[in-house]
Amino acid sequence: MSYTVVSNLDQAVEALAKSAGKARVVAGATDLFLGNLPSELVDISTVPDLLGINRDPDCLSVGAGVTHAGAAASPVIRLKAEALAEACREVGSPQVRNISTLGGNVVNAAPAADAAVALVALGAKAVLLDLSGGHREVAVEDLYANYNLSVVDSSSEILLRFLLAPAVRGEGSAFLRFAPREALSLPLVNAAARVRLKGNTIEAIRAVIAPVSPAPTRLNETEKLLLGSKPGQDTWRRVEYTAAAEVDVRGSMLRCSAEYRHHLVGVLARRVIRKALERALDSKEGGDGR
Amino acid sequence: MPVIKKAESVLRKGRSGSAVNQGPDVWAKATGKAVYGTDLHFPGMLYGKVLRSPHPHARIKGIDTAGAYAVPGVRSVLTAGDIRNKSYGIVVEDEQPLAHNRVRYIGDEVAAVVAVDEDSASKALEAIKVEYEPLPAVFDPAEALLDEAVQIHDSCPGNIAWERDMERGEPERAFAGADLVVENSFSIPSVHPTYLEPIACVAVSDYMDNLTIHTALQSPDVVREIIAGALDLPLSKVRIIGPVMGGGFGGRVYGNLKLYLLSSLLSMHTGSPVKMRLTREEEFTVGRPMIAARMKVRMALRRDGTFLARESDIITDNGAYSAQAPWVSKTLSERNDSVYRIPNIKTRARLAYTNKVPTAQYRAYGNQAANFAYESLIDQAAEKLGLDPLQLRLKNCTHSGDVTVHGLDIKSCALSECLQKAAEKVGWNNRKEGCGYGISAGIHASGSLVANKDFRGASARAVLELDGRVTIYTGEQEYGQGAYGAFVQIAARTLGLEPQLLTIYCRDSLVTPHSQGALANRQTTIGGRAIQLAAEDLKILIEEAASEMTGEPVKMKGGSLAAASGKLIRFEEVARYHHHRTSGLTLTGEGRYVPPHTDYDETSYGNISVTYSFAAHAAEVEVDRETGALTVHRIVAIHDSGHIINPPGARGQIYGGVTQGLGFGCYEGYVFDRGKVANSSLADYRIPTALDVPRIDCHFIETDDPEGPFGAKGLGEVVQVPVPGAIANAVADAIGVRVTNLPITAEKIYRAMFKGECAE
Amino acid sequence: MKEQVIAFELNGETVEAYTDPALSLLHLLRSRFNLLGTKEGCGRGECGACTVLVDGRAVNSCLVPAGKVQGRKVYTIEGVTAEGLSRGAKVHPLQEAFVESGAVQCGFCTPGMIMSTYALLNDNSSPSPEEVKEAISGNLCRCSGYKQIEEAILEAAQRLKAQDWQDRNTGKT
Repeated sequence: MSYTVVSNLDQAVEALAKSAGKARVVAGATDLFLGNLPSELVDISTVPDLLGINRDPDCLSVGAGVTHAGAAASPVIRLKAEALAEACREVGSPQVRNISTLGGNVVNAAPAADAAVALVALGAKAVLLDLSGGHREVAVEDLYANYNLSVVDSSSEILLRFLLAPAVRGEGSAFLRFAPREALSLPLVNAAARVRLKGNTIEAIRAVIAPVSPAPTRLNETEKLLLGSKPGQDTWRRVEYTAAAEVDVRGSMLRCSAEYRHHLVGVLARRVIRKALERALDSKEGGDGR
Repeated sequence: MPVIKKAESVLRKGRSGSAVNQGPDVWAKATGKAVYGTDLHFPGMLYGKVLRSPHPHARIKGIDTAGAYAVPGVRSVLTAGDIRNKSYGIVVEDEQPLAHNRVRYIGDEVAAVVAVDEDSASKALEAIKVEYEPLPAVFDPAEALLDEAVQIHDSCPGNIAWERDMERGEPERAFAGADLVVENSFSIPSVHPTYLEPIACVAVSDYMDNLTIHTALQSPDVVREIIAGALDLPLSKVRIIGPVMGGGFGGRVYGNLKLYLLSSLLSMHTGSPVKMRLTREEEFTVGRPMIAARMKVRMALRRDGTFLARESDIITDNGAYSAQAPWVSKTLSERNDSVYRIPNIKTRARLAYTNKVPTAQYRAYGNQAANFAYESLIDQAAEKLGLDPLQLRLKNCTHSGDVTVHGLDIKSCALSECLQKAAEKVGWNNRKEGCGYGISAGIHASGSLVANKDFRGASARAVLELDGRVTIYTGEQEYGQGAYGAFVQIAARTLGLEPQLLTIYCRDSLVTPHSQGALANRQTTIGGRAIQLAAEDLKILIEEAASEMTGEPVKMKGGSLAAASGKLIRFEEVARYHHHRTSGLTLTGEGRYVPPHTDYDETSYGNISVTYSFAAHAAEVEVDRETGALTVHRIVAIHDSGHIINPPGARGQIYGGVTQGLGFGCYEGYVFDRGKVANSSLADYRIPTALDVPRIDCHFIETDDPEGPFGAKGLGEVVQVPVPGAIANAVADAIGVRVTNLPITAEKIYRAMFKGECAE
Repeated sequence: MKEQVIAFELNGETVEAYTDPALSLLHLLRSRFNLLGTKEGCGRGECGACTVLVDGRAVNSCLVPAGKVQGRKVYTIEGVTAEGLSRGAKVHPLQEAFVESGAVQCGFCTPGMIMSTYALLNDNSSPSPEEVKEAISGNLCRCSGYKQIEEAILEAAQRLKAQDWQDRNTGKT
């Protein structure tokens, strides 16, 4: 195997182009040894273009090479994309968080990947660079071809960054994870939500659950139920039923039964949306300078 | 009658003081210099690997190893036909180094290769062609016991590896006359000791048939005998030297005999040192977990809560080969009967062969598994009778001076005090809103006879070195659990010397006395006593030699040697005096300790151990009412282990043991998929992380045991025993329904709450 | 298997290894550099026994391909020990705190624990008990139940502050 550490994007593109499909980009590489080794690897983990966390008034840009630890600790992400910071804090262990990246998390295409779930809930788009220098933007939820298979071809495309709208006053986001152990655990269910209030009414909502399909999945019916509403006790009960009813789940011998997972989907969807809503309410009251 | 010395603990937070209490390797461990099995390297060393069966049950029709020999770097390939392949075993001789014509579980050893590096050895394995004819396999122990089940061992009809029917008193009558009978079924999966260092060894043989195996073992002397027997080598030519041990917990008592035998054979065939190790995955697929058990139990009580009788029908899962599963089954099926005064017992226990990974032992030897079942049932009875579970236990618990239903002679026991203290500390009568509380009581033997009735004791030597220091030679094993510290304390106290002047030497079978090893909770009590006796013997020898040297009576006291005239004598002087007059010998005290009054008859009735340790644990838990997620807030662990010789070490044992108990109760358990271990990684076989451990409060109630050295009793195994039961009872208290199979996961709690499901 | 030269800084020293870049950093350290203090507990990043620092951050060396450390700073338990010696102490205060707090039982998790602790205290010289637990949440221990390890870390934090012990060798970026 050949392994090249590149220090800028041009080098990365050149290395991929030269290899005619045999080379792949890699960042954290934490999943490398757990599968088949490609014959050539291009390590982009130190490319500066991929490491920035930048904030415009309208756009928060998070480099694909930002580690989970970096995202969890970033004041900007904690303030403006809280669900993402929360998700990144929960991944695996400190050792894994220190080296695995958001880009890797999405391209690895694990159905329940924590950061990916938060990114989809936040409405993030991925910016992809191809070998001819062209850019395209794709919604994160559209990057999944199948279970554990990304649309992104790591031998000819590089995921550069994620773009999302930073939270404004009246908005809140949250991430919840249900796992059998407090660390070093894959989740049974991940849930994330982003809510925007106008007055006390939900003006916009994105609610995402995983793993219920190859990609982190929007709870469309649940969102419809809540859009334009002022949720009360009854609504929350309906949210739970609706969320559970609108997804298909698989059971697994090692994780949990399908029935239990279904139940968890309902409960976690309700809890995470509620949490996002509370944060949205808090942000209206608090003068946190948003 | 022994008196409870102190009602409070002697535990202090903080420093263990000098590192001398912690074993000779503690600084090496902290600096990365400690040498474990996998760190060993010898000149010319080769690497061995094992080819394993992918089938749970199959006939071997042929093995073609030609391809393996063609792989560059391969030095030897062995199949059953290449070696003597003698049968061996710890209890039942049902195993051979390599499968001869039949494999009996996924992972069964079929061939072994050795090469210049692991990669080449792996390639060699891939090049071996084995033709299998799959046979029907049986995975469920109850099914294995049916007449129509496939027979796994021709020598064991009915797939019964061990069985016992035991009756004490008149159980039928007791049940007939009872005011209340409660019953339930419980199931406990196999669990793996999950020491952090996977098993590794280096076998070094020479042209003179000398064989040295470098591997960390809790019972190296027993392993040595098995290996010598299996390989037809004279025992005196087999030596085991222990590198530092990365955890044992019962899993390294006899370790992985296959690995030691195969590496020895490969070394004998190549004349080179051969290193073999288990990967973590192999630890889970072919390493030995503790037996799984299914228990149908019922209890008879009087209305006032008096325990009248208990009946159990137990099936334990042996896996494909027996190892020490019969002994574990025995302990599991009887030990807990002595926690309380239960005059009538009926137990049927059967250990069944199945086509799964062979089982063995874990710390506490099945005691904790049965404790979970029995303590759960007691709470059920309490509920039915409207009695406080604490009061019910206090009413029936064993006391000092009792002889229990199986003949255990209880010479010191503070169980009642432990229960009361546990309840007090957890806030039994001052409960927090929304929390569940549970309590459990346990017993363990301090050096039981389970393993070998004919070899009950221990011996030790204490040597006065020429520099005035003392070296203790013991066959007991230290692996960070505090045995070293306890032994140093015992010897230091006996001799009146500073601990820094003592060294404990324990890891070389050529040099150290034979020992049954670190199991059955015997090291402190039995091993420690032998050390105490050896030290006493040495003291006398020193005084005698000094007296002879000076011509006047000399006494050793408070760390000095003083003649009657008041003159002080240096230890080095006496040592040299003796050295010269004998032309090279050193003053050597010998200690022999055979626990008195320990024996049992053919029904297993008898005092199986010289003393017993007791414990009561209480748990405070909270259950998420929607998801069933369990949070254990606190575990209170109260222990009667006699006099605590090494308090910081004891504290470490409690935290470690309780955390293991937490794992046993809430996280761990083998999951099988048609005979294949489905959770064969640390991601899927989950032990507690630092974030999972609750607050643990521990206290010792010191009793003055007449047998143990300075009144000490064992602690190492009993620590884990009551934890799963306490947690199970707390969960039942919290949700009003009982989970009867381990581990208690969120999903099981959810099912119990919403579906009223109790088992499976 | 194509070998390449990988130049990096190991425990403060510039070194070069000629190796298959797919070899894990764990095996590179153990077999090529003979640094046996970093342990293999599982080989899959699930136990933390192989924890080392790369550019000052705690990582599972069993998951890091050798190729990745090109140009980086790697720090192992041997580096920590050497640091202690270089300051005229017998061992690093961290190691001393571990031993004296009874945090070392079988010792197999100890090097990994110490490296995670080292990274924590570099980042945060006064961690709370929660932060301490979090920092070692990726390091499994089967012997100790973690309590004495956590006490050792809090103790170590005190000692490092008291001794004003500056860490220059980690190369944290």
